[in-house]
Amino acid sequence: MKTTTIRFALLSLAMAGSVAAHAQAAGSWLVRAGVTNITPDVTSGDLSAPSLAGTKSDVGASTRLGGGITYIVNEHFSLDMPLALPFKHTLTGDGAIAGVGKIGDVKVLPMTLFAQYRFGEPTAAFRPYVGAGPTYAKFFKERSTATLSGLTGGTPANPTTLSVESKLVPTIQLGGTWTLNERWFVDAMVAKTFLKTRTTLSTGQTLDIKLDPVTVSVAVGMRF
Amino acid sequence: MLIRSRLAAALAAVVLASCGGGGSEPLVSSAGITSVKVMGDSLTDSGTFEGNDGYGRIFSVQGSESEPNVIWTERTASVLGLAPLCPFFGIAISDEPSTPPTVTTNPTCSSYGVGGGRINNPASKGGESSPLSIVMQMRTAAAVNGSYSASDLLLIDGGGNDAADLVGAYLAAAKDSGASYQALLLTLLPPATVGAVLPTAGGPEQAGGLYMQALADQFYGAIKTYGLELGAQRIALLNMPGITNTPRFQMVLASIEQAKGAAARAQAEGLFRSWIAAFNNRLAANVGSDKRVVVVDFFTSFDDQVKNPAQYKLTNVTTPACPATGVGTDGLPEYNFQTCTAAALSAAPPAGVTDPNWWKTYAFADGFHPTPYGYQLLGQLVARSLAKAGWL
Repeated sequence: MKTTTIRFALLSLAMAGSVAAHAQAAGSWLVRAGVTNITPDVTSGDLSAPSLAGTKSDVGASTRLGGGITYIVNEHFSLDMPLALPFKHTLTGDGAIAGVGKIGDVKVLPMTLFAQYRFGEPTAAFRPYVGAGPTYAKFFKERSTATLSGLTGGTPANPTTLSVESKLVPTIQLGGTWTLNERWFVDAMVAKTFLKTRTTLSTGQTLDIKLDPVTVSVAVGMRF
Repeated sequence: MLIRSRLAAALAAVVLASCGGGGSEPLVSSAGITSVKVMGDSLTDSGTFEGNDGYGRIFSVQGSESEPNVIWTERTASVLGLAPLCPFFGIAISDEPSTPPTVTTNPTCSSYGVGGGRINNPASKGGESSPLSIVMQMRTAAAVNGSYSASDLLLIDGGGNDAADLVGAYLAAAKDSGASYQALLLTLLPPATVGAVLPTAGGPEQAGGLYMQALADQFYGAIKTYGLELGAQRIALLNMPGITNTPRFQMVLASIEQAKGAAARAQAEGLFRSWIAAFNNRLAANVGSDKRVVVVDFFTSFDDQVKNPAQYKLTNVTTPACPATGVGTDGLPEYNFQTCTAAALSAAPPAGVTDPNWWKTYAFADGFHPTPYGYQLLGQLVARSLAKAGWL
């Protein structure tokens, strides 16, 4: 799917002969679809007692179909809501439990509303932009492994489960839009979310972790 | 169209994602382990002596909420999704001290560990023909199972009682001029070595280290013969914990301090720990980089629990949770695991304590054995080692 999208984007680029006059005119809606990757930049705290001192966790990256909707407010300002299929991140042992492998996974749906400032003229072929806004990181469907139960004293009757706290946090972004023609454009952006959260085990221990994910998204869009 | 349908999917996902729900993957071995075989001492005994006066099912508090998976081997089996372990050997102790205990076997059970188990079981206790010999346990398991495969996990511990024997014989030298110490050394060390080392300055102390190395060699030799050479690919082996941390040994050390002063106590503790280190280092060297054997560092973890109890939510690492029921011939307190039940402890908290769960965060059940929680911590340590090896 990723390959298809990229191929499609390249094709669109090749076909773009001229830049349309009002690709980003005030009041227009832009809709895009592509791929989004979230890579956490993890700084893990220690699992609280009882635990082996220095028990930490790492969180893997996730790539999903993504995109978003943008409303062009005026010449320079826009509102943008990225959309994506829920991301699934693998939790692995780190610190004192480095090497134990997967201890669980968690799905997350980050919901962000960006206020964006777009540089240059609305007619420009390339318009870089910066954005900032609130993100609600909704964590759900946490699944623990037998390894986590083994490490924390879980039993078949009472396996150790985990829950990750959902949070409202700030995100900043930097991106650019390439207008291909009156209807089509390509958008690429990178965002940084400042996300600290707490994971709680059914055995009572907590783990504070700074995820600070970097989001990279490439999409092809249409103007309405 | 493509983009529109994807967008629709993404929007649908936003809506659907609001319903949560998680849980745990079932506790099974992703590595395909379907059977656990256990050999060792009291820390691995799943009920050999049950039914005898003064004994419970396990060497810990009886009837805890962790039953039937209390001790580390049982916990390990449960995390692998296996049925609760049961004891291969049954030992009935006669009321007549002169009558030897009756040993029965249950070939459907795979826990061969026996309380009081020793690597170098003394001839007076049946030597290598008794289930008290961990070597005999391994030999028996090998005979019963024929061979091992990757689906078998062998859980083995040993050496704690051997180390206690050595310390006891060393300390008895004050009374018997070293006769029992020399006799014990000679069971594993060549007479020429003992004859050359013992009379020198610091010789008895050095000889103890040599004995512990020979003990590690004997242990590993049995693991090799009755495990690795029969196809075993997954063996988790506990190294020897610092038995000087146990309340029983702390009392022994306290009596040394009382008689000879704090320096003598520190010196003795240092000596005994150096012996344990000699055993552990030799055992680790024998295993080397063999991926079929995982040595679980019980020594370091047990030390850490005693030094940093709060990290493990331990509230007491010095006092046994069970009440002493008498004083043994060695002058040390005796305990009765038959009557030391969860209900009895909860009903009789120490003075000034009202919480019926008080004993659940103690490290020691009696002078030498962990509480169910102590076993849980050991089980967690073993789980880490198994997970690192990719066996969980």
